[in-house]
Amino acid sequence: MTAFEGFLITGLVTGCIYALIAMGLVVTYTTTGIFNFSHGAIAMFSAYTFWELWQNWHLNVVLSMFLVLVVLAPLFGLFIEMALMRPLRGAPVDLTVVVTLGLLLALVGIANSVWSPTVSRVLPQLDNGNGFRVGQVLVSYHELITVLALIVAGVGLRLLFTQSRLGIAMRAVVDNPDLLAMAGGRPVRVQQLSWMLSTSLAALGGMLLAPIQELNILNLTLLVVDGYAAAIIGRLRNLPAAVGGAIVIAVGQSMALGYLPSSGFLTRVQAIIPMIVLFIVLIVLPQDRLRTASFAAAVAPRVASLKSSIGVGIAVVIGSFIVSTQLGSANLKWGADGFATALELLSLVLLTGYGGMVSLCTLSFVGLGAFAMSHAGGTSGNPIGLIAAVGLAGAVGALVALPTLRLRGLYLALATFSFATVMDLAVFTQILGTGGNIAVARVHIPGVPTKSDQAFFMVCCVTFVLCAIGVLALRRGSFGRRLVATNDSPAACATLGVNVNVTKLITFTLAAGMAGLAGALLGAVPGQVDANDFAALGSLVVLLLARVGGINTATGALLGAATFTGFQIAQPHLAAHDLTRHIAQLQYTLTGLAAISVGRDPNGFGGRIVRLLDRFKPAESFQTAPAVRAAPAEDGTVGSVFFQEEEELAHAGR
Amino acid sequence: MPAVDLEAPEQRTSDAVLEIIDVSVRFGGINAVSDVNLTVMPGEITGLIGPNGAGKTTTFNVITGLQEPTNGRVFIGGREVSHLPPYRRARLGIARTFQRLEVFGSLTVFENILAAAEFHKSWSEDQTPPRRVAAEIIDRVGLQRVGNARVDALPTGIARLVELGRALATRPRLLLLDEVGSGLNQDETDALGDLMLDLVRDGTAILLVEHDVELVMRVCTRIYVLDFGRIIAQGTPAEIQKDPAVQAAYLGSDEV
Repeated sequence: MTAFEGFLITGLVTGCIYALIAMGLVVTYTTTGIFNFSHGAIAMFSAYTFWELWQNWHLNVVLSMFLVLVVLAPLFGLFIEMALMRPLRGAPVDLTVVVTLGLLLALVGIANSVWSPTVSRVLPQLDNGNGFRVGQVLVSYHELITVLALIVAGVGLRLLFTQSRLGIAMRAVVDNPDLLAMAGGRPVRVQQLSWMLSTSLAALGGMLLAPIQELNILNLTLLVVDGYAAAIIGRLRNLPAAVGGAIVIAVGQSMALGYLPSSGFLTRVQAIIPMIVLFIVLIVLPQDRLRTASFAAAVAPRVASLKSSIGVGIAVVIGSFIVSTQLGSANLKWGADGFATALELLSLVLLTGYGGMVSLCTLSFVGLGAFAMSHAGGTSGNPIGLIAAVGLAGAVGALVALPTLRLRGLYLALATFSFATVMDLAVFTQILGTGGNIAVARVHIPGVPTKSDQAFFMVCCVTFVLCAIGVLALRRGSFGRRLVATNDSPAACATLGVNVNVTKLITFTLAAGMAGLAGALLGAVPGQVDANDFAALGSLVVLLLARVGGINTATGALLGAATFTGFQIAQPHLAAHDLTRHIAQLQYTLTGLAAISVGRDPNGFGGRIVRLLDRFKPAESFQTAPAVRAAPAEDGTVGSVFFQEEEELAHAGR
Repeated sequence: MPAVDLEAPEQRTSDAVLEIIDVSVRFGGINAVSDVNLTVMPGEITGLIGPNGAGKTTTFNVITGLQEPTNGRVFIGGREVSHLPPYRRARLGIARTFQRLEVFGSLTVFENILAAAEFHKSWSEDQTPPRRVAAEIIDRVGLQRVGNARVDALPTGIARLVELGRALATRPRLLLLDEVGSGLNQDETDALGDLMLDLVRDGTAILLVEHDVELVMRVCTRIYVLDFGRIIAQGTPAEIQKDPAVQAAYLGSDEV
């Protein structure tokens, strides 16, 4: 029985920490409508800052805690609100997802630069793990403090939200900030306070969690993802449900750790319990009825015509060929890697850019593609491997899409993220292993000498160009209009006889298949892969890169990939200047920071370039459409009356 | 509600294009719509008027399937559709506009209407080339000048006309218009009224939600008045104008 009680107490204590983290998420979500993906990273960063003050600067433990909880974390919350969140008011959900993910990545990058992961650090439990006995079980003061912290925070928040004017204003602000402003409230001040409160709660969670688990940047950032599942159980609004959910999840995990076999597949169960809970809760929870149109969507850049997309495509292929003759083996590999990565991003142009569906599991499909290529492609690189890659990834994509189709925005993002984590922790570790010894052969096209680095570089280049032309053609055609329409207003589409779910299913399947194809090529660049290549965090990077490059243009996909590959090429060169440690993380930091910047320019670099090019084109006049004839001067239609009056007004004005 | 749910879909033998029976919608404790009965006959424009928040748009949402009613049944062309999803109801020949705009903002005016015509072609027997349908509708509604403009850049009044054009592209038997005339001035509203009468002559029945009382009185054959979710009066325009309950609730005695 002692063992059972031990596991129970561990579970309860961890549950209390998850609950603190979930509460922070709920606070910002209820008051600002933004789900903060970087919440875990803030907890991680706070734990490290606490370590720095307490263990490295040898400040008093209470003073260190006070500095982190009451000074630094709230200041950071204030900074987040002022610098990052305010421009996002009224922005579409996927933009808020990208900006908070960018913050996550930037914090991970900065933490890795400041606190090198190769040095081991220990954050001791409070009071050095001393404790007291309850029956036969030792309860540490750290654990007791954790439970008390949750109780204090829970009661405090309850009182704040129900009893104080400020708390009521906090609840009012998310529904209608303008109304609150008219009623004499100050929505900005209220939102600032809720960010400060939320970062403080994250800091508290991180500081209490790190000594129990370990001080590890990635683990802490992702461990608190478990708190996300709890927050979702409370539908991101209900604090008691979130707390209850957190405790159930953590106890379940603790019991799984204690009683499931300690070898084989079942050892993975403990790690993925929160993700499975998250996925199931998302699917089961009732959704709002069909979303109606949001007018805040960014103005998407013009879609290239068939002629110009083929022209640019041919230019890219010829240009790449000329460049390839000058490149050495290493750079050719980077180039192939770049084009395959661009193909990955292109799948998001279709899915997220055109279709508005936010997916955080791109690398899961990429990994499946690599897996299929390694099996069906054999050692000779049989082209059947490519077909298998598209087929497997597409089929799994359809299976994931079926239950998640009705989810929208944030909920879809979370469901795909939980799928990615399950794939990462439970599936890829099984089928790909972590030894880097699953061989993926380069595709061999009969009659074409594809074995050389240069040939494979060109295969990747041509594949990307063909897919890009295909995606653009799809967007210009009837299906593209249907997809964009479904994104702009699902409600209107449904009332025009469109089965919105079918459109989404087809799109999700196509995008997954394309990611699978990218995986078959990407895996063949180094020639071998393992589970680490398709980690869940990588899918976040992919979405951010797509956003930074420009998620609604094929050019953007290429630019995003070029940025990423550029970092990787630069890395060894910079290493010579003893900057390795910083540069290694710089790509994450910069990608994160760039993603944050898309809050200000949603179309990314790609959109900016397309707009720039547009300046050199003659302005298109409304009347030039071939299908639309010039209006007769006065035909009595509603529109013509409208425009006639406009004209008269303009005339009179002159 | 369970009693209704268990019954098999019913076939009704009336000529009505649309019939809704005892429809109620409750949001939390609030009755948005209570026991509403309403019939739309072919070849007629039927008005549905009432003050803001009376439940007009909610009624439209129930008819098109965007809002599940707490109680009640909906028949389109004599066929019960109470449990059909919105897209299947649309395929029976109803189309609508929205009071809060639901245009495809990132498409052009022409593409908005073209997309709707393509949707229609994909599920109906009518295989008229969508481009031709769209061009005809652009002419009919008078949107030639803005054919290539993105809809989210247009004034609201024109965007409403785009929604009207888009609805027409599915060649509906029943058209639900939700304040399509707001944002238009007197001359434009007159032209809109002419267009509606034209459509009815071509065989489309219309259910019209409109604040412009003059327009309603001019074009409607029959009018229902909603107030706090209940039908408080129904009848011809002349009858409605005389009805004291209506004057008190909505029109205001001076206005008529």
